[in-house]
Amino acid sequence: MSLFLHYLTLPYLLTGIGFTLEVTALGLAGGLVIGVLLAGMQLGRVPALAAVARGYAVIFRGTPLILQLVFAYDALPHIGLTLSAAAAAGLALTANEAPFIAEILRSGVIGVEAGQILAGQALGMTPFVLMRRVVAPQAIRAIVPALGNEAVTALKNSSLASVIAVPELTLRSTQLASSTFDFFSIFFASGLMYLMLTGAVSVLQLLIEATLDLDRGKKRAWFGWRVPGRQARVAPAVAAPLPTRGADRPAAAMAPAVPKPHQKAIHRSGRDEGEVVVDVRNLHKRYGDQIVLDHVDLNVRSGEIVALLGRSGSGKSTLLRCICHLEEGDAGIVRVGGRRLGHGEDGRKLTPREIARERANLGVGIVFQHFNLFAHLTAQQNIAGPLQWVHGLSAADADDRALSLLRRVGLEHRADALPRHLSGGQQQRIAIARALAPNPNVLLLDEPTSALDPELVEEVLDVIRQLAEQGGLTMLISTHQLRFARDVADRIVFLAEGVVKEEGPAHEVLAHPRHPLTARFLRVMGAEQLADIPR
Amino acid sequence: MIAADTFERTIRCKKSLFAIFSGTVFLLVMSAALPARAADTTLSGSAACLALQAKYPVLKGKTLVDALNPHTPGYEALDPNDPSHYIGFDVDLAEALGECLGFKLAYKPVAFAALLPTLQSGQADLVISDIYATHERAKAADFVTYSKVFDGVLVVKDNPKHITGINTTLCGDTAAENTGFVEVPLVQNLAPECKTAGKPEPSLQLYDNNADCIQAILAGRADTYINDVNTVDQAVKAYPDKLSKAVAVTLPYSIGIAIAKTKPELRDAIMAALIEVQKAGVETALLKKWALDAGSLEEPQILKQ
Repeated sequence: MSLFLHYLTLPYLLTGIGFTLEVTALGLAGGLVIGVLLAGMQLGRVPALAAVARGYAVIFRGTPLILQLVFAYDALPHIGLTLSAAAAAGLALTANEAPFIAEILRSGVIGVEAGQILAGQALGMTPFVLMRRVVAPQAIRAIVPALGNEAVTALKNSSLASVIAVPELTLRSTQLASSTFDFFSIFFASGLMYLMLTGAVSVLQLLIEATLDLDRGKKRAWFGWRVPGRQARVAPAVAAPLPTRGADRPAAAMAPAVPKPHQKAIHRSGRDEGEVVVDVRNLHKRYGDQIVLDHVDLNVRSGEIVALLGRSGSGKSTLLRCICHLEEGDAGIVRVGGRRLGHGEDGRKLTPREIARERANLGVGIVFQHFNLFAHLTAQQNIAGPLQWVHGLSAADADDRALSLLRRVGLEHRADALPRHLSGGQQQRIAIARALAPNPNVLLLDEPTSALDPELVEEVLDVIRQLAEQGGLTMLISTHQLRFARDVADRIVFLAEGVVKEEGPAHEVLAHPRHPLTARFLRVMGAEQLADIPR
Repeated sequence: MIAADTFERTIRCKKSLFAIFSGTVFLLVMSAALPARAADTTLSGSAACLALQAKYPVLKGKTLVDALNPHTPGYEALDPNDPSHYIGFDVDLAEALGECLGFKLAYKPVAFAALLPTLQSGQADLVISDIYATHERAKAADFVTYSKVFDGVLVVKDNPKHITGINTTLCGDTAAENTGFVEVPLVQNLAPECKTAGKPEPSLQLYDNNADCIQAILAGRADTYINDVNTVDQAVKAYPDKLSKAVAVTLPYSIGIAIAKTKPELRDAIMAALIEVQKAGVETALLKKWALDAGSLEEPQILKQ
């Protein structure tokens, strides 16, 4: 026991810890840098780079670290690169750690819901902003345990540097054992030292996890992530104005929400005179052998509200996504506000970054069936964030506007709630507020109530009804809610098998469908919904 | 049993006395033969060494890197009292050569099998680490030999397997050896002989250092470890109740200093300095200091291929 304590406190062994930490730190830091690079290459759009990254992983993940150490130490000098033992060990550990760390990073990025990325794109975020504000914060939280694991592995792997004369803990232990013959006292002592080091890594990992925990309370430290919604909140009397885009767009249609009876259909007149804001011509789209959109033509005029009806799989969602260029048709042209999204003046295809800027300028908002709120941000941050990052609003203005929009959808009291603590209906109301925040010219709603429990449907429809009543906003809504369509829509477009089978004024199509498929659809969707439609 | 042990110790004691005696005689003879040395007894001040320093001026003041496998107490190991430096016969010999030629030394600890690769990659200038100069190894580096090889056979206390050397008494037994040791092929070559005798062939366990080989016997995993007799003696001294030396055997090798083939000048300088070191009686004195057999002293030779 006294021998054990002697070796546990022996300066010779304790200074060996310094080399162990040096090699580990070099390996982890280098591995992280190369790992980010490799992960980026694999996630990027250039197949050649992805192949190079994959090849690197095959080689350095597939050969033993001990060989890589000997290579860095004994082979590199033959080409004139003589590194110190610790540097050679750091290099070998870097090369070895990089593919493992790259895979951890990649799994973190892939793990972020595709819907959130779609939502970020739709809100006009550039790939960089999307990565920094949406993907990275969530990916980092997800990968902390795996990175902690990797750090412990690297720390233990550093002991292999003993084969290339790095005077780290293991080398010193074995040499000391050889000269003193006190094998067990020495190895128990160095074992305990390793345990303390790996224990420290575990504690650090837990601390980081706790700090990043979104449920930790309101005073979260974010390691420097600037996130809106943290400022002291002063409820504004008037929403901060955004630059208006269309001449017919009032800057702020932000009157407080007023519960509105909806027994009566909202029939407005004069829509036909508005300019065409959405112009779809001959749009064709197929997934493999299946034709999803079969030469579709569609015009939506400014201020018009169009309900897209049709069975699941009839092409409604694809049509909406093509309009905001989240998907691209195989043929045909889509123009919004006269601009062809995704293509330059000369017809050249734009880069993702340019498309993002164009989306932000053009003012097309979309609300998804599955809400697609950013899971790591509160309700208010979900709305204020894109205003700040995409539209350049100050944090205070973005927060004010977010709050006034939350008030408008009746969720001001849940401003600080994370999406996972909100009901589906509440999430969708926030998603609508988020889409409205930059004052879009056109709002696309993709089955906004289909993912909701029946009792939550009405609260969302109410919000949309209010929007319709206030007027001015051009809306294209795909829905199965016939009564709702009758209440809010000026026009109904019925899609089946990727083809527009019938369109016309809402009450007319609902009451007197001309196409047999429309008639059958209306029958199937529940005639009882329409019992009170005048015939 | 006690009697046998005492007997052995007596023998060893006598051997040491003989070593001291012969060393002293040698020193006396040398000093008589070279009266000029009486004025300056240090190597660095000797006329011969000064002449060598003048002949090899590039070495003077330089720090050469000596790769060693510091797991062989007596030859090279950490100083148990101050683990920040290495001690042993080889370390002292290296310092003596450095003193004569005017260079300093830095030590680089590596695995035994990595000694010559470290030299070849230029990470070390020379290897003085109880390494036997064989023709195989001479393909990788040039050697300047300085000592004969006496091996000891380390076995479990009182040799229950009756092993008497690298011969058919090893058949069916397990030998622990270090990777790269010359004893490895010698044990392997016993296989046909054992087969002829109708016995199973010996098996080998390869480790990285003496400590692991000795532990293999202590843990009952191996029956014997055959290595330099001094190493074996040290192990028996550390574990007198658990280990014995069965026998000492002579191997047809010399221990040598390895130098990269790309540095013939350094090799020749070491060769010349070693001659002077031996002439001055330093090597003999060191053998005595580290309780090694004075009879192992050998005139230097260059082995190269």
